[in-house]
Amino acid sequence: MMSQPSKANAEGPESHDSISGRHERARDFEEAKKALLARPRFSVRAQIYLGFALVFLFTIITVAGLLNSIYEVDHKVRFLETVNQYLIQIEQARRFEKNYFLYGTNLREGLDNVYAANQILEINRNQILSITGRNVYDQMLSNLKEYEALLKRIIDLEQQWGNALANTEIDHSIDVREQGQSMISFAQEMAAKERTALEKSINRARQMHIYYLLALMAIMVVNSFILARRILVRIKQYKTFAQRIASGDYTLITPMRAYRDEFTELALAVNQMVLDVEAREAVLIQSHKMRAVGTLTAGVAHELNNPINNIMITGHMFLEDYDSLDEADRKDMMQDVVNETNRAKAIIANLLDFARESGSQLAPLDVAALLTDTIALASNRLKRSRINIEFSKTEKLPRVHGDSQQLRQVFLNLILNAIDASKPGGKISVTVLPADEPHYVAIKVIDYGTGIPKHILGSIFDPFFTTKPQGKGTGLGLSMSQGIVAKHGGLIRVFSQEGQGSTFTITLPVTTFPAEIKAETHLANS
Amino acid sequence: MSHLEVLLLDDEPIVGKRLKPALAKVGCEVEVFQDPVLALKRIDEKDFDVVVTDISMAEVDGMQVLEHVVAKNNRTKVIMITGFAMMSLAREAMEKGAFDFIAKPFKPDDLRLIIARAAEALGKPIDFEINDNG
Repeated sequence: MMSQPSKANAEGPESHDSISGRHERARDFEEAKKALLARPRFSVRAQIYLGFALVFLFTIITVAGLLNSIYEVDHKVRFLETVNQYLIQIEQARRFEKNYFLYGTNLREGLDNVYAANQILEINRNQILSITGRNVYDQMLSNLKEYEALLKRIIDLEQQWGNALANTEIDHSIDVREQGQSMISFAQEMAAKERTALEKSINRARQMHIYYLLALMAIMVVNSFILARRILVRIKQYKTFAQRIASGDYTLITPMRAYRDEFTELALAVNQMVLDVEAREAVLIQSHKMRAVGTLTAGVAHELNNPINNIMITGHMFLEDYDSLDEADRKDMMQDVVNETNRAKAIIANLLDFARESGSQLAPLDVAALLTDTIALASNRLKRSRINIEFSKTEKLPRVHGDSQQLRQVFLNLILNAIDASKPGGKISVTVLPADEPHYVAIKVIDYGTGIPKHILGSIFDPFFTTKPQGKGTGLGLSMSQGIVAKHGGLIRVFSQEGQGSTFTITLPVTTFPAEIKAETHLANS
Repeated sequence: MSHLEVLLLDDEPIVGKRLKPALAKVGCEVEVFQDPVLALKRIDEKDFDVVVTDISMAEVDGMQVLEHVVAKNNRTKVIMITGFAMMSLAREAMEKGAFDFIAKPFKPDDLRLIIARAAEALGKPIDFEINDNG
């Protein structure tokens, strides 16, 4: 890109037109580049990373929750085990207590169970505290102490009174039983409550797994949908860009979204490519034009021979007969010389004007006048092939906004093709008239020659497609013409019947509403 | 000395306008035509000694004029004017019986010389010195 202006400068002042044209395009390119890069960046890569980060974060939170609930379940199971052990000890103590009252067996062993229960409470103090809270724990402890105290009193009384049953003992036995019963039911109640809580925890963990999976799926579906859509939309867009460029529309890609990403780099590369293709096409058009000039040169040389011959004959006769000529004759002869010189000049100017290399210069053009010039340029080819050309035009046609040289090249191409397709002594019709669509003019080049076979009709606009013998045609004429016409916002259509001839119709937008047409082509591009 | 009867056909008006007096000066009686159709009609009416015709013309080309003249009277000498020296075209003309050809641009004396040779071949020499070296 950077080498473009310096290269253009090196070409010197002769090609000033092409320099300004290329400069303009280079400026367009820089502007498009600036606009493309000015937006904040949000890359596809960033979106992928963001998606994964989101999933990862969500997973961490869920795993933490799951770990917590496993810990909770584990804690509750241990607690239930502790309560169970405690209950076993109390129940054992109560069995001893019952046996003592029924059979008078030893109560001391029951006291051992109470100590064991106490120990269980002491060892698992923290665990129990964390689940039940201090009040419950204290009550359990104090119940146990009370029970212990009651048992101890019975044992003391028994030692004092021997084996005999005392009234007080009966009272005590009632207290002991009630105390034992309430301790058991208290612990069982607590265990039952914790068991329900445990079930709830397990349930919650199970639901968490399911919800986690569902949520994860939702996140992934949404994320991949957004990501895929973003990429696919862009790919589709670039497909249309490629088609547009292939059809010869070299509008640069301009920003269409609020942010830039990897596709922005692609857009820059495509713009660069468009610029390069355009430059190369200009070279190709020029070289193709020079070939056309080559085929015309023989005809033009012949055409030039006529005025030169007239000047030569007149000059010689003027010298030869100078003395015998009267003044009117001399003036007439010199007038002929002047006229013929002008005629030669016009022939050369027309060819040189056509051959001259220049950048794209857009101006409002009179298509009818362009066609007249073009027909003059081809007049000798027409004469040599003894082909009659009929030119008809609608008066006061609106002008066409375009490049006169390029359009002349297109017209010449079609006329030369028509000559090649016609038999000697044939006829070609050239017409310019308003097109069927409003704000367009149509140029028709009709020959009554061989026509184009149906099977190749689809490929005649393809580059390098030619039916002419090797060395005669480049196969670029029609493809280039199509490119030039497309750049002017127009179309080339062909209608052909084998053996009947062909009609090539070019439609070009008129200048009446340049802004509107420009807006339309922009719409078509976006 | 009888006049040499010449028909000059060229679609460029100046050619006829200037060459008619130039050839008259050397003893030719010249009829000038721009339209080959009219010229052919005239050829049918009258036997010319020499027919000078341009090859490249719109409706009827010089070859057709040559063929027409040869078919009618092969005594008539036909001189072809070619726009630019196209040897194949010239050879074709010679094969078809043309006397000679001359390429544009030419001097009046160039044509006079060829006509003088034709006149000599016809046995009706004109008032122009043939210098074979020139």
